[in-house]
Amino acid sequence: MAVADFPDQDPSAAAPRSAPAKRLSISTARRRLAADHTARWLVTAGGLAIIAGILGILFFILAEVLPMIRSARVAVERTLAVDRPVRAVLVDEHQTHAAVLGPGGIVRVLRLDDGATVVEESLTAELAELDAAAAAVPAAEETAAAPGFELLDARVPPGGSAVAASTSDGRVLTQVIEWRVRFDEEQRRIVSPHLRMPAVLALDPERRPLGAFAAQATADGQTSAAAQLADGTVVVAKVAVTENAFTGEIERSESRLSFPAVPTLTRLLIDADQTALFGGSESGELFWWLFDRGDNAEPESVSAGTAAVTALTLLVGDRSLVVGQSDGSLSVWFPVRQAAVTADEDERFLLTRIRDFPRHGAPIVDLAPSQRNRTFLATDADGELGLYFSTSERVLWRGASPVAGATTAIISPKSDGAFLGTANELAILAIDNPHPEISWRALFGKIWFEGYERPEHAWQSTGGTDDFEAKLSLTPLVVGTLKGTLYSLLLAIPLGVLGAMFASQFLHPKLLGLIKPTVEIMASLPSVVLGFLAGLWLAPLLERTFPALLLAFVALPLSVWLAGIGWSRLPLGFRQRYPAGAEVGLYLVVVAAAIALCGLLSAPFERLAFGGSFPAWLVQTTGLPYDQRNAVVVGLAMGFAVIPIIFAISEDAFSNVPKSLIAGSLALGANRWQTVTRVVLPTASPGIFSAVMIGFGRAIGETMIVLMATGNTPIMQLNAFNGFRTLSANIAVEIPEAPHGGTLYRTLFLAALLLFVLTFVVNTVAELVRQRLRRKYAQL
Amino acid sequence: MAKNSTTRRRDFVGTSLTALCGGALALNLLLILGLLLLIGVYGAAYFWQRDIVELTRVDGSRVLGEIHDRESIPPTPDAPEPGERIKVRVGNRDLTANDFQWLSLSSVVDRGTPGDAVVLERLEWGNFYGRMVELRHGDELLASGGDEVWRRFGPLHREKVRQRDAVRKLERGPIGDVNFEIEKLRLETRRLELARLPEAELARRQEQIDGRMAARQAEYEELATRLFAARDELMAETLVMETADGRRKEIAVGAIVRALRPNDMGPLAKSGLYLSRIWEFVADDPRESNTEGGIFPAIFGTVMMVFLMSFAVVPLGVLAALYLREYAKQGPLVRMVRIAVNNLAGVPSIVFGVFGLGFFVYTIGGSIDRLFYPEALPTPTFGTGGILWGALTLALLTVPVVIVATEEGLAAVPGIVRAGSLALGATKWETTWKVVVPAAAPGILTGLILAMARAAGEVAPLMIVGMVKLAPALPIDHHAPFVHLERKFMHLGFHIYDVGFQSPNVDASKPLVFATALLLIVVVTVMNLVAIALRNRLRRRYAGSAV
Repeated sequence: MAVADFPDQDPSAAAPRSAPAKRLSISTARRRLAADHTARWLVTAGGLAIIAGILGILFFILAEVLPMIRSARVAVERTLAVDRPVRAVLVDEHQTHAAVLGPGGIVRVLRLDDGATVVEESLTAELAELDAAAAAVPAAEETAAAPGFELLDARVPPGGSAVAASTSDGRVLTQVIEWRVRFDEEQRRIVSPHLRMPAVLALDPERRPLGAFAAQATADGQTSAAAQLADGTVVVAKVAVTENAFTGEIERSESRLSFPAVPTLTRLLIDADQTALFGGSESGELFWWLFDRGDNAEPESVSAGTAAVTALTLLVGDRSLVVGQSDGSLSVWFPVRQAAVTADEDERFLLTRIRDFPRHGAPIVDLAPSQRNRTFLATDADGELGLYFSTSERVLWRGASPVAGATTAIISPKSDGAFLGTANELAILAIDNPHPEISWRALFGKIWFEGYERPEHAWQSTGGTDDFEAKLSLTPLVVGTLKGTLYSLLLAIPLGVLGAMFASQFLHPKLLGLIKPTVEIMASLPSVVLGFLAGLWLAPLLERTFPALLLAFVALPLSVWLAGIGWSRLPLGFRQRYPAGAEVGLYLVVVAAAIALCGLLSAPFERLAFGGSFPAWLVQTTGLPYDQRNAVVVGLAMGFAVIPIIFAISEDAFSNVPKSLIAGSLALGANRWQTVTRVVLPTASPGIFSAVMIGFGRAIGETMIVLMATGNTPIMQLNAFNGFRTLSANIAVEIPEAPHGGTLYRTLFLAALLLFVLTFVVNTVAELVRQRLRRKYAQL
Repeated sequence: MAKNSTTRRRDFVGTSLTALCGGALALNLLLILGLLLLIGVYGAAYFWQRDIVELTRVDGSRVLGEIHDRESIPPTPDAPEPGERIKVRVGNRDLTANDFQWLSLSSVVDRGTPGDAVVLERLEWGNFYGRMVELRHGDELLASGGDEVWRRFGPLHREKVRQRDAVRKLERGPIGDVNFEIEKLRLETRRLELARLPEAELARRQEQIDGRMAARQAEYEELATRLFAARDELMAETLVMETADGRRKEIAVGAIVRALRPNDMGPLAKSGLYLSRIWEFVADDPRESNTEGGIFPAIFGTVMMVFLMSFAVVPLGVLAALYLREYAKQGPLVRMVRIAVNNLAGVPSIVFGVFGLGFFVYTIGGSIDRLFYPEALPTPTFGTGGILWGALTLALLTVPVVIVATEEGLAAVPGIVRAGSLALGATKWETTWKVVVPAAAPGILTGLILAMARAAGEVAPLMIVGMVKLAPALPIDHHAPFVHLERKFMHLGFHIYDVGFQSPNVDASKPLVFATALLLIVVVTVMNLVAIALRNRLRRRYAGSAV
């Protein structure tokens, strides 16, 4: 074969240079062989390493995603012996101290390092002192009812800044504990507990023992307590202690509310804002009072089954109510706005059962919320613990309590630990629970979010407040991605495939040699330029002249058809003066003219058909608003990006159809068109399929065009006139703000993984189809 | 040959549908040509100075500015007559808040192009349209009256431009150096704190650093005084301008980039201005948060990033291709690997960006920071986006392109050439390295150029791993070690996105974006055309030889 036309550096010249012209010694030969071996080894190792590295991308991304599905880890860190039963526990943010409320109302603050008692105060003693002082003033006519009262029950209100206890003489005591943090000269953190003056709220004027009770206290002096009295009525007392900033005078204001009698309650709960009271009854009913409805207001009530309510808590954000019952069931409820029946009716909220968690085997005795997220810890009578996440409906961990007879449990403020109190010890658990928000359902299913009227797919990763409920459903993004892809393929498939068919079957090779590089240039246009044109030039233009686009759908095919017929009627001699397919030049002019005509006719047509303004007409007739940056704009721009891909691959498939098939068909009397549609098209169809697949893959991952030409709103509608948000644009928008290693970060990695796998699979299928087709052609 | 009706109908349908296919092809071509034309026209128009028109409206008010657009007003029930309106660039953003104003043509009663109308390009607040009134130096009147001021302004402005360059040189040169030194000393102090040295040694070294720091501070003070004096001098003379509606505005001559009387300019002068604006565009720094001035840092960042990427992608791609084509045993496994590598080119670029962020920036960059730059923490050095990470991410993105092109080049080298080399006694490696690879060089080059073109236009992954709106410093400067791979950089593509979509004044900056897009497209298209030409030569060269 032709070695003669081999390039400038022909091997005959190269070989002597490489092999020294001197004397061929054994050592030279050995060195060359060694070099050859080393090179073989290096190239193989290097090549394999590079390929492995490239494919390693998938595994790296996977490794970033996987920690999300790991369940929580709970382990006993240690236990501290306490010489009395623990009724309630509070912990500071850094887990240096724990305050323990024991029987007899002794609040003891323990240092967790060594178990030493730092502060100890008796609530009952202080109360007795207060009583004595009060009794001393109005002479000794009716001395304090009974100095010997005792504490009945203790609670840690949600929020974790106070402990509360009810007394046998109808009062509720609250103790706010503040943790003051300072740093010493070596920048070590020193936390010291500060016990505020306890607040005393007398709920039962007749000083009977209280039934179910609840309290809430904040560091700024707002305290509320509620209890059911012996007659079944529910009373609420509120105390506000404010210090005048100028005079230092302490003002104390007190208010009371009482509500009608309800069946015997087992649990009460006041929210952190102190605006609402929740209650659960022996017979499984839930009650809900709002303080701003005033005295004597009837509660909202709803049944939660027949089993008695044995535990209640509110999750952070104060909306989700977790209900534990004596049959071991666990459910989450929150108020849902009801559609107003009449226009003037106030909006009404109904406490609604949102979701259930797997039932425990014994009555739930305690529920502890996290202050960070919507995690909560449930303890049942058998000593089994469960860690759950409300939004994702995920069972994070379940297992036997490491200590027997736990009576109270809390989750530490940073949600990295839990404290269980028993009759004689305090158990400290470490919780490793980095991504509770993620579950299959949270990512892809419908979830009933707080404040929503129904379960929905929603993406909203960040919000304004700390207690924001992250909405991480990828479904709207997947739908947005498919929507953008769909609209762009609607444009790109016909234009790409039909154009390629004409180019390969009807065009002179010389013309084809001009057109192919043009299409390659089209493929190489940076998508940021297309996105910019789509967003800033096309979108405003289309908003003004949308009817022109509608006209073009009719005008373009019509004008081309007429031009084609006209061309075919021209004398053959004239046509043969030009290379085959030269009529494309004519079509080019005709199409350009038709587009210009559509632009001119747009305004009159809009007046005639849409009353002057298409967007206004659209809103009036369909109720859908016209967004300037919408799916049509994206379809046009992204279609533009996909056309060259579909064109190039289809053209390849058409061109490679064996000439013998075409010649055979023509020889049998079929005309060109029949040959193309009945012989070429069916033979090349797998190639066209793979062209469409590869175009699909490109459209799915396109980022800049959708980022710039849509409003990036994560909504789930297939309507052509509004925007959407795609997986890729979402990554581009959110990952710069996502903290490294956080749930959002990993969720975005999951989105990237989805894109990777989807495009990889689609491309592989397309490639395999193409290779099979090539083999088939080779056989023909 | 006589045709019966069936044949005729058949032919008619065939002709019609063929025409539709041809129409599709024509539309494709029209789309690409139209797009290139659109960007070409808008981009090129950016540099052209239009005439300034003075419009007098029905109510007697006057507007001075450049006409930028014209469109018909859709009729409304109140005004059933369809009219036309024009978009006038009125500038004077510091007085009127808006750069552009829409005027209904029916409200314009008179239109003229006065010769004394002046447009000022300013460092801040965009263009100013008006007439020159006075030139002052503080309270001293240097000149008054349009023509007199215009004559005096020219030489004065040239002087001020020299002064402005001097100020800039001072800021960039000595002051930048001193700041750089001070920052270095600060980091040294921090490193000393981390070093756990004996007390005495620590104190000694600290003292040394403090001494140097004090010297630098003194130097800085002195330079700052000089800078302030130079700035005062620069801003000493002011030009009093009058707008079309009679408002006066005093503008420092030192803050004016250019003053023009476009209506007095001939075509030659305008062409000169056109060229000088193009030069300013490619060679100057941006102003007004990128919406005015040049795009030099973006061009520089793009070019440097692409070259860095090339250094990474060529060895990787060629080595992998050599292995796949020359060394690996061809079988189903290699075929699968080939398909996988091929398909990697179809994986969305944003996925590579995500990988680059997680792997290069956080994993590798984070480790480098902990090991080598602990004194700067928590401010990351390599643990944040930078030009190196951008280049490596794009190298991964484009390595399939290079592998595929190189393989094609290798495959095109006829087997007989290899056989000949081996027969002459060359080893396999010698054959590969000295015969096959040189012969495949056009293929490698094609791959490289395609990769560079793709990298130049890619934006999405770079947004994540290191591009910024405005980089404070170029990645190469005169401070050791001269090349700062950890620095963030600007990029043409991101410039388009940022100015077009993130800037507060999109209307005014749109022409600049068109110009940037034109530049980017020219660069990418030229690269691609070169690659296509190379590839075609390669194919022709081996077209006849069996593989």
